[in-house]
Amino acid sequence: MKISDTVVGAGFVAAGALIIAGTLNYPTLDGGHPGPSLFPRILGGMMAVFGGLVSVQGLRVRDATEDVDWLRLHRSTAFINAMVVLVGVLAYILLVERVGFLLTGALLLFIVMWRLKVPVVKAVIVAVVFNTIVHFLFAKVMRVPLPMGILWW
Amino acid sequence: MIDHILTALAMLSSWKLLLTITICSIYGLFVGAVPGLTATMAAALLVPFTFFMDPLQALVAIVTMEAMAIFAGDIPAALVRIPGTPSSAAYTDDSYELTKQGKAELVLGVDVMTSAIGGLMGAVVLMTSAPLLAEVALMFTSFEYFWLAALGLSATVMIASTNPLKAGLALLVGLFFSTVGLDITLGYPRFTFGSTELLNGVDFIPAMIGLFGVSEILRNMASSHLQYPITSVKAEKIFSGVAKTLWKYKANMVRASAIGTFIGILPGAGADIAAWIAYAASKRFSKEPEKFGKGAIEPIVDAGTANNACLAGDWVPALVFGIPGDSITAIVIGVLFMKGLRPGPMIFQQQPELVYAVYISFIIANILMVPFGYLAIKVSGNLLKVPRNILMPAILMFCIVGSFAINNSFFDIGVMLAMGILGYFFENNGIPVAPIVLGMVLGPIVEQNFMISMIKTQWDLTQFFTRPAAAILAVLTILTWLAPFLPALARRFRSQTASA
Repeated sequence: MKISDTVVGAGFVAAGALIIAGTLNYPTLDGGHPGPSLFPRILGGMMAVFGGLVSVQGLRVRDATEDVDWLRLHRSTAFINAMVVLVGVLAYILLVERVGFLLTGALLLFIVMWRLKVPVVKAVIVAVVFNTIVHFLFAKVMRVPLPMGILWW
Repeated sequence: MIDHILTALAMLSSWKLLLTITICSIYGLFVGAVPGLTATMAAALLVPFTFFMDPLQALVAIVTMEAMAIFAGDIPAALVRIPGTPSSAAYTDDSYELTKQGKAELVLGVDVMTSAIGGLMGAVVLMTSAPLLAEVALMFTSFEYFWLAALGLSATVMIASTNPLKAGLALLVGLFFSTVGLDITLGYPRFTFGSTELLNGVDFIPAMIGLFGVSEILRNMASSHLQYPITSVKAEKIFSGVAKTLWKYKANMVRASAIGTFIGILPGAGADIAAWIAYAASKRFSKEPEKFGKGAIEPIVDAGTANNACLAGDWVPALVFGIPGDSITAIVIGVLFMKGLRPGPMIFQQQPELVYAVYISFIIANILMVPFGYLAIKVSGNLLKVPRNILMPAILMFCIVGSFAINNSFFDIGVMLAMGILGYFFENNGIPVAPIVLGMVLGPIVEQNFMISMIKTQWDLTQFFTRPAAAILAVLTILTWLAPFLPALARRFRSQTASA
C-alpha cells in the first residue's frame, strides 16, 4: 500500500504535533526544569521537522508512485486477505478466553489457509494437527497458560 | 583465561546444548533459505522458547541460528534470484547470473565457504576486541553512555540507510514508543491513555514479532503461491573449484572481514549493510569492475564474507555496552534482561564463562556451517517448494502464541497486531523498520543517562564535553552527522586552496 510521500510526511507532522500536545500538562522538576516532557517534546519536534522535509521532498519529485486504487480496494485479493488476518487476530483475542485455544486457534488457521486457497479438507486437517502441536509445545512442554475454554486438555 | 575457555567448553559439551545447536542450525537454515522469513523474525520467534533455557543455552541458540540463516539466505538468491534474507540482496544478481551460466555449484560452494571463513574471522575480532573494550567501558559514566547511545542512533540514520530522512522518522517512532509508560525522573505515566498494561511501556518482544513477523505475513497475503522455476544443483560438486577461487581472492576476504566486523561493531548497522558496503568496496578496487552485476564471482566472495563477519561484530557493542549492533542483538539484550543479566562491562568480570561461550559458539556454528550448509544445499529444491499458503498461517500462529507467552497477556497480542500493521505500512512506503527497534532499545539509554547526568550536575551541559572519553564520543557523533557532507566540503576546500 504505497501512498504519496507528501501525504506520509504530512502524517508525521501531525503525529509530532500530537505528541507535543500530549505533553503539555506534564509536571516539571524542582526549579522548573523540564522532566518527563523534555524527551517526548524533542522527539515530537524532530518528527514534525523530518515529516515536513519528506513532504517537501515528495512535492519536489512529484512522486506519482501511489499504487492504491481506493475505489477498487475492496476487490483486491491481497487487501481482503490482509483484512481477514487482521480481523481474525482481533477475533482470536476476543474469543480465545471463552472458547479456548484449541478451537479458536484451529479456526483462525483454517480461515487464513482457506483464503490462501488451500483445499478445504487439507486445510481442516493441517489446522487441527498443527494447532494441537502448538498447544502441546506451548501449554504442556513450556507451561504457557493458554486458555482452555470449553475443551480441556 | 584458559580456565574460562575450559569451563565454557565443558558447559557446551552437554547433550542439551548439542541438541540446541543442532535444532537451531536446522531452524536457521530453513528460515534463511525460505524467502520472506528473515533472521530477525526467527530470533524474535525464538524468544518465548528461551524462557525455558538457561542463559547460556539461549545465547548459543541465537548465535547458531543467525549464523546459519545469513548463509542460507544465499541459496534462494542463487537458485531463484530472491534473497532469502536482506543480507544476501547485494549479490543476488551476480549469483543468479552465474547460475544461468551453469555455475550454480560454484556459487553455492563459494557462498558456504566464505560464510564460514567470514564468520570465523568475525569471531576472532569479537574475542580480541570485546575484552579490551570492556576494560575501557568500566570507566564510562552516564555522560559516556549518553553519547554512545547517541552515536548508535546517528549511525542508524546516517550510515544504515539510503534515505536518512525516512530512517530518521522510523527511529523517532521507535524512540517515542520507548517513552510510553512511567518516566524515569518522576514516575509520571506518559502516553498510557489510562491503560495499566502500558504503565510498564510497550513490550519490546511482541513489538518485534509484529514488526518483523506479522508485517511479512500481511505482505505475503497478496498471492497464495509463489512459484518460481528452481534450478536443481548437484550438491556433491559444490566444493570443486572453490579453493582455487578463494585463493585468488584471499585479499578480498581479509578486506571484507574487516569491513564486515567494523560495520557490525557500529551500533545500528547490520549484516545487510555490511554486504552492500563490501560489494561497493570490492567494485572500487576490482581489476574487472565492469563484470559486476553481470555474473562476477568476486563480489560474491566479498559480500558473502562480510555479512557473516558482521554477525560477530554486532555482538561487541551488545556485550560490552549493552548497546545493540543490529536488530538481532537488540533481541539478545532483551533476552539477557529477562534472565536478570545486565549486558555491560561487568558481565566480563562476573560471568566470563558466558562471554566465552558466545565466542566458542560462534566458532562451532561457523565450522558446522560447512557440513550443514552442504546438506541444506542438497535439499534446497524441497526447501524452496515449501507451500507458502500453509507456512504463512503457521507462522501467524507462532507469532500470536509467542507474543502471548512473554507476559501471558492478551494485550501483547494487540501490540503485535498494531506493530504488524505499522511495519507493513512503513515498508511499503520506503520507511525501514529496523530503526524502530533500535529506537525502542536505545531510547531509554539516551533519556535515562541524559536525565541522570543533568540532575547529577544540576543542569550543567558542559560536562558532556569536558570529560575526555565523552568528548571523543561527542566528536564521533557529530562527525557521523557530517559524514554525507564531508566529500562536498573537501572538494570546496580543495578548490579554494587551488584558486588561492
